[in-house]
Amino acid sequence: MKRLQDIFSLLTLETVFFAVVLIFLEAEGVVPILSIILGAVLISMVVTRLESVNIYLQRIFQENKRLAVSWGILFVVGLPFILHDNPYAIHMMFLAGLYTALAIGLDFQVGAANLVNFATAADYGIGAYAAAMLAVYFGWSFWVVLPLGGLAAALFGFLLGLPTMKTKTYYLSLVTIAVGLIIYLLLNNFSWTGGPNGIAGIPFPGIGSFSFGDSLTIFGVELPFQANFYYLILGVVAIEFVVAKRLYNSKIGLAWNAIRDDEIAAECQGINVTGCKIMAFYTNAFFDGLAGAIYAFNVGFISPENFAFMLSVIVITMVLVGGMGNTVGVIFGALILTLIPEKFQVVQSYRLWLFALIILVMLMARPKGLFPQKIRQYA
Amino acid sequence: MSTSAILQTRNLSLSFGGLKAVDEVDFQVKAGETVGLIGPNGSGKTTFFNLISGIYKPDRGEILFNKENIKDCRAFEITRKGLARTFQNNRLFWQLSVLDNVIIGMHKKQKARLFDVLFRYRRVLDELKRCARDSLDILGYFSRELRDNHHRFVVDLPQGDRRRVEICRALASDPKLLLLDEPSAGMSPDETEKLMDDIGKVRQKYKDLSIIIIEHDMGVIEKIAQRVIVFNYGRKLTEGTFAEISSNPAVLEAYLGEEEQDA
Repeated sequence: MKRLQDIFSLLTLETVFFAVVLIFLEAEGVVPILSIILGAVLISMVVTRLESVNIYLQRIFQENKRLAVSWGILFVVGLPFILHDNPYAIHMMFLAGLYTALAIGLDFQVGAANLVNFATAADYGIGAYAAAMLAVYFGWSFWVVLPLGGLAAALFGFLLGLPTMKTKTYYLSLVTIAVGLIIYLLLNNFSWTGGPNGIAGIPFPGIGSFSFGDSLTIFGVELPFQANFYYLILGVVAIEFVVAKRLYNSKIGLAWNAIRDDEIAAECQGINVTGCKIMAFYTNAFFDGLAGAIYAFNVGFISPENFAFMLSVIVITMVLVGGMGNTVGVIFGALILTLIPEKFQVVQSYRLWLFALIILVMLMARPKGLFPQKIRQYA
Repeated sequence: MSTSAILQTRNLSLSFGGLKAVDEVDFQVKAGETVGLIGPNGSGKTTFFNLISGIYKPDRGEILFNKENIKDCRAFEITRKGLARTFQNNRLFWQLSVLDNVIIGMHKKQKARLFDVLFRYRRVLDELKRCARDSLDILGYFSRELRDNHHRFVVDLPQGDRRRVEICRALASDPKLLLLDEPSAGMSPDETEKLMDDIGKVRQKYKDLSIIIIEHDMGVIEKIAQRVIVFNYGRKLTEGTFAEISSNPAVLEAYLGEEEQDA
């Protein structure tokens, strides 16, 4: 009986949460959007203060984890059906998915191993350009160039990792900033990458005769073409999520954490510190590359401006806000920091200020992020 | 003689600028032996440890570990060959649990590679669970309480327990040689007492393990070390049993300064 009550309240809470997300996605005008954000912040502040509520929530979630996760998956998969007459909202969720893919990957470095890498935009750009150029110049299929984009970025991540190993902490970040800028300048100046004009005419991906540019009708519901890309990025994020979980719960994740906490002590446990750090570079870059390729095929036109330094800063902010070393937290960070500025077109021009403010507030109020890293269980 | 030596150094030297931190040291430890390393502050004891464990590279000289020259090996390679150490100011992984700290000590025993993690995760998980069980056994061997609190962050532990976790982490790699760098530093007399019991337990369980221990607490050295080596100004001053070195005037002089002629 008590179990049933728990399940009921869990599903109710989750449904209410999803409903708020939906209302937020559909809301228009500054006042309703602002009131939803403030309401959410207020409620989460109250909940974190109330120890008993917190424990209760954690307990019902832990005891019915499978159900809670299934309900969540159902919502995420069903989202385009609910939003089928609002293509812009689906596109926003697609963008959130792209940023989520970047943020989960960056967490391998920033969260797990404390390698504050500012070259996300470079990885992302190399994935996008590699895939786009292969498709436009050679006419290769999207499904071939997608993994190749990932691999190109991974190779770049590996090569970036090698010289970076000579440096630590702030200096490491400086090197990654410099390399990110170099890639941006090279993309602007090479003629074979199209220079500042970039690459245009990237075709929509397709499966057989179905093109991702067409609308999709399932169960009598006509989904706008944005839903195709939403499901594509959802698949990538799902794979990346599983990979992240596995990496963190393995000797590799433990080694990354050891390096983060004390590099010399880590080396003295038999950990090949250099090798592990480089692994963090290329595993991250691989997923950045996949996201870049998908982005290129979604917009059909890429230019160096899409891969500027700001993008790296935004993704790092997402990791900091969500919670370093906690994949679920990072997903929330990416969602919050994509959807809020996207909905708030008013603040777009003050976006940098907003991110700076968010970082400062987070570092003071919750330095470990909204969802700090959890202690590993081996039961 | 040298056939049973687990560690041997010849003419081992390292200078920092004009300072000869370790100067022409010949040193030998046999399998299963416990050697005490003493000397005044700044006499090069910790530098010597850092040389053997691969954190510093020597200017000159040889380090033979298990008859193999490890002079040019990197620290993680030396650990994989069977050397483990603790640090003067505990260097634990502060944001991880007690159990994770010990499991990381088993890094070299885990065979999983990136491929296994991605495509054969079941194996990785089984291996990890086995390591977790073994780690709990090691923790439990020293302290029930520590075993029961294995999920706590190491940063929340008192000094005595932190040192214990560090020793457990070092033992987790099944070393042939264990370097203990001033384990009683920062401990209360009670905690030092427990530490000596713990080292006794290490001796009991790991019979073939050789130990080199740096210590300022002569009580600990007297009780634990079969042989004592004295360092002064980076050089090996003398060696012998505790009784021998404690009556050696050169050692007293190194510690207390030169005696006045008419005293």
